[in-house]
Amino acid sequence: MKKFLAYIRSKLSVRVSIWVVFFAAIIFTVALGFLFYESRDAVREEAIGKATRILDNTSLQVESIMNRVEVASNLNKWLVERHLNQPDSMFVYSRSILLNNPDFYNASIAFEPYHFKEKGRYFSAYTKHIGDSIRTIQGGSDNYQYFYADWYLMPFLLDKPSWTEPYMDLDVATDTREMVTSYCQAINDQQGRKVGVINISLSITWLSQTISATKPYPNSYSIMIGRGGTYFVHPDPEKITRQSIFTQTLEHPDPELTDLGHAMTRGEQGMKSMKLNGKKCYVFYKPLGKTGCSMAIVCPESDIFRGFNRLQNSVRIIVFVGLLLMLFFFIRIITFELHPLRKLADEAETIASGQFNAQLPDFKRVDEIGQLSHSFGNMQHSLVRYIEELKSTTAQKASIESDLRIASGIQKGMLPDKFPTKTDCDDVQIYASLTPAKDVGGDLFDFYFRDEKLFFCIGDVSGKGVPASLFMAVTRSTFRTVSAHESMPDRIMTIMNKTIADMNKNNMFVTLFVGVLDLPTGRLHYSNAGHDAPLLVGAGVGELPCDPNIPVGFMPDWKYTLQEAQIFTGTTIFLFTDGLTEAMDAEKNQFQMERVNEVAAKALSQQQQEPQQLIDKMTETVHHFVGDAEQSDDLTMMGIQYIRQQDNIKMQKRLVLSNDVQEVPQLNDFVDDVCQTAGFDEMQTMQIKVAVEEAVVNVMKYAYPAGQKGDITIEAASNDVRLKFTIIDSGMPFDPTVQSEVDTTLSADERKIGGLGIHIMRQNMDSINYERIDNLNVLTLRKRIV
Amino acid sequence: MKTTIKEQDGKMVAILEGTLDTAAAAETEKAMSPLNSTDKDVILDCTDLAYISSAGLRIFLGILQSARGKGHHVYIKGLNDSVRSVFTITGFSNIFEFL
Repeated sequence: MKKFLAYIRSKLSVRVSIWVVFFAAIIFTVALGFLFYESRDAVREEAIGKATRILDNTSLQVESIMNRVEVASNLNKWLVERHLNQPDSMFVYSRSILLNNPDFYNASIAFEPYHFKEKGRYFSAYTKHIGDSIRTIQGGSDNYQYFYADWYLMPFLLDKPSWTEPYMDLDVATDTREMVTSYCQAINDQQGRKVGVINISLSITWLSQTISATKPYPNSYSIMIGRGGTYFVHPDPEKITRQSIFTQTLEHPDPELTDLGHAMTRGEQGMKSMKLNGKKCYVFYKPLGKTGCSMAIVCPESDIFRGFNRLQNSVRIIVFVGLLLMLFFFIRIITFELHPLRKLADEAETIASGQFNAQLPDFKRVDEIGQLSHSFGNMQHSLVRYIEELKSTTAQKASIESDLRIASGIQKGMLPDKFPTKTDCDDVQIYASLTPAKDVGGDLFDFYFRDEKLFFCIGDVSGKGVPASLFMAVTRSTFRTVSAHESMPDRIMTIMNKTIADMNKNNMFVTLFVGVLDLPTGRLHYSNAGHDAPLLVGAGVGELPCDPNIPVGFMPDWKYTLQEAQIFTGTTIFLFTDGLTEAMDAEKNQFQMERVNEVAAKALSQQQQEPQQLIDKMTETVHHFVGDAEQSDDLTMMGIQYIRQQDNIKMQKRLVLSNDVQEVPQLNDFVDDVCQTAGFDEMQTMQIKVAVEEAVVNVMKYAYPAGQKGDITIEAASNDVRLKFTIIDSGMPFDPTVQSEVDTTLSADERKIGGLGIHIMRQNMDSINYERIDNLNVLTLRKRIV
Repeated sequence: MKTTIKEQDGKMVAILEGTLDTAAAAETEKAMSPLNSTDKDVILDCTDLAYISSAGLRIFLGILQSARGKGHHVYIKGLNDSVRSVFTITGFSNIFEFL
């Protein structure tokens, strides 16, 4: 059953066909039911009409026969009564009755005993059929004393002509018995005395046959009853004369039958529907004229409706078979109609499996299936198009993502990745971390060493992503370029600003902090362009005071201010971008400066203020704070801890010269002396002498305006580690360290005369360091004592 | 600082003795000016040259460039180690010929 239901569910054609057939069946049932129900009545009416007509016909027939009997009887009575004195004529008359009416059974003209004295006691002119002929004989004899027969007595008793009840007539001569009914009439003489009876009989069998000749229906039969209800005619011969219509109701009371009997004996006419012998019948009854008899035709309902029922069954069968055929053909037809749909489905499967160029079936239909296939074709084309677009978009996206990854790598490459620690550097420890919000970002930090100074910067380009990262790259390279020639942060910032502002068409800007830390002294020069003020974590946690300068990139002509601070040994400068203070958690709460201070203070209290320690702590705290929220901005931190100890000074000497190159020999003697004291060998001493001479001669030549006399102080100091010469003059600000180096690989023809001095200084000394302090040029040359 | 110029074997020889620092540079340059205008190859004898600074190197370079302009050679002989290191550092060891 389940399989069957599943089958139905899977097949549209079957389902639709079943529905159609179902509804057709309902319509047929209703229509035909109604038809048959109404027809039933028509048929019944028809049957009634038919039976009634037949009944009428038959009763008419019987009546006419009986009438003829009466007429013949009357006629012959008249004749006989006129010829009472001619007994022999009786035979003629008797014979003529049958001659004229061959369907009569017999006729008798019988007289009272000894009426015709010469004829004896009995005289009955008896005529009857014998085979094909008619025979008239003397009917009365000792064997048959007709005087006591019903037919003879009745006229006497009733005093009027009447029909007898059916009785058995015995023909002695031929020994034939026949059930007959007789019409007997008295023969009267002129005095009105009854002298005889004229009797005409009709065979009941013949009557029965006549009545039953016309049967409306095969199983219908006719009955005729007499005055008292006695059967004259009945299909069952046993019942004739022996039973009446009431007989069977004596034992089994049957009110319907009784009613019928009474109705008929009363001479009524009509139709009754009743049950006879268990079968439903229609009984049509009518009295037969004045005879007092009544006849009825019994029509079993099954007969009446036989044809009708047969018709009904035939129709039922036709409808049933028709519906089955309909079901079958509909399934076939719908399946056929849906065949294109199945093809369409198959093609769709092919497309779904990836072959987008499968050829859709091309129907020329314009109905729903045609529309569907048309739409499908459109969909397929769209699909192919979209997939092509998608492929190219995905490829572009992949390409962009790959580019971004490369850009991210390039950007990382721009940032310093080697951080000096106390194990490899005496002066500073540095650590930094930068986490961009996207693949590439706008934050930057940078640091490098030049001439005993640490140049560093930290910045934040407005925005994020690719535009900011490009700006970041420009800013960083500009920083490197400019700070190679400038040692003062304000100058660096101002030049950077002009350079960047001049090419800034997109109105981006960068907040920037530039610092230059003089490693020997711990003196910090710095300039801030709108960036967050760094923290100093040392004796406590404090903010480095910063002037309010505008960010870089806005106004090309802005002059940035210079600020100074002294950084004591052990202090960490903590620099950061606003990605730290503005780091947001899921509820959009910001980390804020308070928390930064807290973490720094806590680290300080735990002696964890070294750059990496501090930054790790800060990172951990921020991550915890932000939780699962998306990083909103680039996060950058840099820590610079000044760890240089001021070493013990072992030797300090001083020489003051005026700006006259002729005093150089004095200088060289001084240097000789110092180097010897410090323990340098001849070669080293020579190298130092050359370097110091270059430095001092530079000052002599250029520091003071031409013609003006000026002093130059040369201080020499040494400790266990180093010898340093400090050359101080009060002339024009001049930073020899920013002069470009000479190219020593040029050929003889290409070599320039100038530039050798600075080259020699750098080569022969470990470091040169220029500071402008309080209107003094301070140039320091250092050499490690090996 | 003592500078001696003489001609020897068809070449102009300059014998330098002492310390050629910036102070001595002007005087030494004047003394060596014949070498700028000579047509002969030049030999700079630095055997007794104890010291040279960039001022001195400048003088040497000037002599070299004018000699080359005439197609002549300039030879240096007798550098001690210290002076030689200066030549090396400044790349002058590549542009002079040494004996």
